[in-house]
Amino acid sequence: MKAGSVEIPGYTTLPVQFPATSLTPEPATHYLYIRPHEPRIPDPDSTRSLFIVNVPIDTTELHLRHLFGTQLSAGRVERVQFEDVPTKKRTAATSTETNTSKKKRKRVTADDFEQHLDAISLPSTWDRKLQKSGAHAIVIFADRPSMESSLKASTKAAKRGTSITWGENLPSDRLPALGLSRYAAHERLQYPERGTLLRAVNEFMTTFSAVSEARKREDHKRYAVPDEDGFVTVQHGPKLNSVAREDEMRELLEKQKKKGEGLEDFYRFQSREKRKERQNRLLKRFDEDKKKLADIKARRGKIRVSTFSSIQSSLANLSRSLSKLVYRSMAFW
Amino acid sequence: MSDPSSKRRKLSPPPNGAPGYPTATDQKRSATRNKDGRSAELAMASGFYKSSFFKLQMDELLEGLRPNHASQVAKSQESLHQIKNAIETLPDKTPQSVFDAEKDLRASGLAVPWPEPRPSKEVKYSMAYAKPANINVVGSFALQTGARALELRPIDLAVTMPNSLFQEKDYVNFRYFHKRAYYMACLAAGIQDVANNLGFDVKFSTQDGDSLRPLVLLEPQAPGSSQIRILAAVDPTLFPISRTLPMKSNIRQGFSASSEIGEPTSFYNASLRADATVSLYHKSIYSASQKCESFKDACILGRTWLHQRGFRTAFQNGGFGGFEWTVLLSLLFEGGGPAGQPVLLPSYSCYQIFKATVQFLAGRDLTTPLFFNHEVSVPSGVPVVYDGRRGLNILYKMTSWSYATLRHEASTTLKMLNESREDNFDKVFILKVDEPALRFDRLITIKSFTGETLRALQEQTKLYNVLTKALGDRVNLVSIASDPVSTWSVKSKQPKKSNEGVSVGLLLNAENVGRVVDHGPAAEEKEDSTAFQAFWGEKSELRRFKDGSILESLVWSENSGDSIIHQILVYILQRHFGIVDFGFLGDDYDERLRAYGDNILAYSSPAFQSANEAFKDLETSIRTMDEVPLEVRHLAPASSLLRYTAVRPGGPADVVLQFESSSRWPDDFAAIQMTKIAFLLKIGDALEQAGATASPCRVGLENESSKIINNAYLDIPHSSGILFRLRIHHDREQTLLERSLKDRSMSPREREEAAFALFSYKKTFVQIPRLTQALRSLCTRFPLLSPTIRLTKHWFASHMFTAQINEELIELLVIRTFTQPNPWECPSSVMTGFLRTLHSLSRWDWQQEAFIVDLGGDLSPDVTEHIRTRFTAWRNIDPAMNSVALFVASDIDPEGVTWTQYEMPSKVVAGRLSSLTNAAIGLIRSKPHDLDISELFDTSLAPYDFVIHLRSKLFGKSTSAPKFKNLAESRASMGPTIKSFVCDVQSCYSQSILLFRGDDRCPVIAGLWNPQTLKPRSWNLKTAYSTAPAPGPEDQVSINRSAVINEIARLGHGLIEHIEVHDHSK
Repeated sequence: MKAGSVEIPGYTTLPVQFPATSLTPEPATHYLYIRPHEPRIPDPDSTRSLFIVNVPIDTTELHLRHLFGTQLSAGRVERVQFEDVPTKKRTAATSTETNTSKKKRKRVTADDFEQHLDAISLPSTWDRKLQKSGAHAIVIFADRPSMESSLKASTKAAKRGTSITWGENLPSDRLPALGLSRYAAHERLQYPERGTLLRAVNEFMTTFSAVSEARKREDHKRYAVPDEDGFVTVQHGPKLNSVAREDEMRELLEKQKKKGEGLEDFYRFQSREKRKERQNRLLKRFDEDKKKLADIKARRGKIRVSTFSSIQSSLANLSRSLSKLVYRSMAFW
Repeated sequence: MSDPSSKRRKLSPPPNGAPGYPTATDQKRSATRNKDGRSAELAMASGFYKSSFFKLQMDELLEGLRPNHASQVAKSQESLHQIKNAIETLPDKTPQSVFDAEKDLRASGLAVPWPEPRPSKEVKYSMAYAKPANINVVGSFALQTGARALELRPIDLAVTMPNSLFQEKDYVNFRYFHKRAYYMACLAAGIQDVANNLGFDVKFSTQDGDSLRPLVLLEPQAPGSSQIRILAAVDPTLFPISRTLPMKSNIRQGFSASSEIGEPTSFYNASLRADATVSLYHKSIYSASQKCESFKDACILGRTWLHQRGFRTAFQNGGFGGFEWTVLLSLLFEGGGPAGQPVLLPSYSCYQIFKATVQFLAGRDLTTPLFFNHEVSVPSGVPVVYDGRRGLNILYKMTSWSYATLRHEASTTLKMLNESREDNFDKVFILKVDEPALRFDRLITIKSFTGETLRALQEQTKLYNVLTKALGDRVNLVSIASDPVSTWSVKSKQPKKSNEGVSVGLLLNAENVGRVVDHGPAAEEKEDSTAFQAFWGEKSELRRFKDGSILESLVWSENSGDSIIHQILVYILQRHFGIVDFGFLGDDYDERLRAYGDNILAYSSPAFQSANEAFKDLETSIRTMDEVPLEVRHLAPASSLLRYTAVRPGGPADVVLQFESSSRWPDDFAAIQMTKIAFLLKIGDALEQAGATASPCRVGLENESSKIINNAYLDIPHSSGILFRLRIHHDREQTLLERSLKDRSMSPREREEAAFALFSYKKTFVQIPRLTQALRSLCTRFPLLSPTIRLTKHWFASHMFTAQINEELIELLVIRTFTQPNPWECPSSVMTGFLRTLHSLSRWDWQQEAFIVDLGGDLSPDVTEHIRTRFTAWRNIDPAMNSVALFVASDIDPEGVTWTQYEMPSKVVAGRLSSLTNAAIGLIRSKPHDLDISELFDTSLAPYDFVIHLRSKLFGKSTSAPKFKNLAESRASMGPTIKSFVCDVQSCYSQSILLFRGDDRCPVIAGLWNPQTLKPRSWNLKTAYSTAPAPGPEDQVSINRSAVINEIARLGHGLIEHIEVHDHSK
């Protein structure tokens, strides 16, 4: 691959060297596409951020800090936001969010708990995460000048053809290694300590019950307040959750259906109609069959008996041994 | 409204349709009509009985197969005339001795096609030629009963030899056949010039594969025109019928050393009689075709059916071909039923005739002779349909084995025709059933076993008798086939041997095939035991058994690595025929499975059974847990090890635990997962306390990126050495997921995640346990199902499909071969099970058809219809097949995408699967008898773009078999690591790379670039792969291959030995 660079409007293309490995004797060049971060809805951080596309799959925050801070000696990176890691925690589809107005009111306390709840998670089973090939990342610098000087330094490096080696001189003790040891770690981390698990579960369940307690309290309060017309909703008995109600409705429906079935074929007109319906169905089936046959004919040609001669001709097309089968069915992609 | 009953009467048609009416009643319908009087009207309403899809397809097929008589006549009329003229103008030849006659013909370059034994020099009778009494076009061409495209449809020209040439006693000692051979030679010599001018080559061939009856064959030099066969015939009254009755002896004076005087020569007699009945049968078939409108179509159907099953007129091919079918039909119009009632009625439709005839063949055992008009004495053990008026047993060319095979096929076909679930049209007519390796469980080929017809018949009969006696109830069917001598030049003598030997196909009886000890007669029964000893020789030994009986018995070795069938064959063929060298196919598949499947063959082997027992033990322990607050409802096995389908018992065995429902479960996904972990920890403690585990249980995490898919499992190292992996099934999750899918406020991404979670829930907690349950019973019902599934899995792994195709999918593909075996019987060997599965895959048009499997026997037409509707819906939703390529449904899983959704496999891989199975079937067809089966399993790495060779150190020699591999291997093996690595790479490069991997022992991973990414294109934000400037225009990019390979190398550091990159662009 020649060092010739590609011009993409609006982006700075920064070539980065991948050092040769024992498996790939030739070093490779990887291309980062960099530009100032300009999201559609700007946030306070976007003015001091760079938008980088096509980060290598083993990119970590450390890599990018090192790249801009040390290798390009330009700006100090505050933090990095990778693709695929949602900025806000996704709100789990809980049973309580059906009514939005209800949600608004209980914001006061339940939401606080819920945020705490979201923060509790199980330990990760990987010591180092991977990025998707071609993914992007947002690098947020300490301030705007750091960002600008970093962009300038990248442009310069790209123009001059300065050779930057990816992850060169990165302190190896601060970064878990890739390869076999990463998988060995994964197999270990898959089974967290019993204590860690118990702690996470207990904490979660405590918080969870606190959330539901708080919510119940809020509900009570809400129902106790008379509405516009001065009515108070009366609550009694254990409140069925909506899932249970659905089940009940379904059962009821089925019962009714069964009731209706008992009277079939009672009147003559019923059996007559039934017969008619069956005839119509058969007629329809016939038309369908005809169509099906036409389809098959269109697809395979005439209905033909598979004979030896056709086998032989198809044999001629196929290679004699499976091991010689060539697979390049590009048409499928 | 009038009285409905009168209306009904009006609607009802006459039972079999009015005469002259295009009666298209198929018997299927008329059978149901008897049960339900109303369906007749319904059928009426649906368009004059043509409603069934079967009928429509049949009409279409007949349309294609009916010969275009007019054009063929137009094409060949001129040639026929000229040849006829040429024959009529041939000069007579005066009688002369054999020697002179032969010399005379040799002068014009011809060798007389003498049948064996050729006339000796001293014979008294002389050879002569005289103008034929009659020349006629006969047979399927004239009667229009042949089928286009099935076989070469020759035009038969029957030349009736004048009576003057023969003497009264010519029916004995081949005299007739010698004179006939000379006559044919004279004809061949006489028309040679005319034929050459008309564009034909003159050759000799045999009629019906019978070397006694050579014929002259005019083969067109230009393709497209028909062959013309010149047959010899004689006047029916020339030799009295009483002389050629089946039990008469007409070969005397020890002509043939083995047949002594007085022994009946039924084949010889019938051969002679066949020449005398040429015109008679022509007439009778003609009149039958005049009487019954659908007769010709029924003949075409019959021919097709026979052809697909390998039956031809020649005795080597079963002795039952189109001609015999046609004659049998014409006879069945006269009788054959109980009390001489006709089996067929002229008002039948062609389908009814076909079905009734198949029913007749399947139901009526013709080894109890069937006589028309006269009863005569007939040989026993062979089928007899004796046509008294013409003096011929029309099945004279059938042997006991070909008759057994025919009946076998007929009853299979009858079953298919009676099945209401599927129309089976393809399987009755379209599919070629006669593929030896698909049809038979074991194939034997013997080279040295052919000769001229009479001797071949005798030898094959002996072979058949010996084989059936030696194999006994280990086999259900022994079928012998060979190739008749095809054609030979008029200049050379009749060849004595065809180039292929005979091939014997065996259908095994799965229950008895592995029996180690055979019991013979008791020692006291002197006569029987002498016969037994004579047959078995030194192999038979006297043994005392537990019940005190002393029996002659045979003991075969069980663990010699040689199947018992093969041991018997080696011994018996050597003993009775002196054959040492013979081909044997079928055992290799079992061997292959042993070699790659830890030496396990049956589901009942200790490895599977110990896992089974451990599971039962675990179930008891779990049911008796006190510390867990919820009652256990069900512990379900959910792993291939527990359903006997793991190629090698290894890895953890999944089980699914369901508690009795409780209202105390939270209604929140994350909380459910946390509760599950709490339960798992509790269960682990309880099991450890109960002492059911070998080492502490561990809770493991999975699917960490999602909060709505199952997050945790419990690894239970059971005290028996099996590692179980337990997950908790909580059925509220499904309801919650379904509800959140209905929730409108969710973003598309969340909805997608919920859909995937629901998919994964159904698969893990519903479908896998269900399939496991079903397979556990199926494997007991079909003992060969488990080994066949395992071999098929091995095949898929050999072709590196492991990362792309779920093992459950493979299981379903194989099950169909067993539960819906049509057009064959249920496989009784690994070979047939495996090859038929490949065959069905090669024929599966997966873009247009759903693959429907019957697992529990509940596959009603309604369910099938429902599945088809779902399939159509999927193709409408996803016409480009981006998510679902294969659609495989069963009665317990009508949704059909459980194992195949989310590109498992993608359409590229599905396409490769089709081409590989096609190639495999092609290979089997090209080498039916001498296939080295490793060719089926070898795969080439050349077509891939790059191949990652894993470090061989990682695959430590695991040949030493610890007692319970399952536990030992799960820690030591690199399987999970490699799997994680492949997963990582595949998910990082989901847009640009497709990875292929074999099973845990496969030392390579192969990859393909997405061809789209190799093309230069302009860059945008959605380009989801690593890019580099492409050669060419400035702003074009293409995939950065060297950087990607470098990244993979870094990711797999320590795993990879080297990466081989192929450049296919050169």
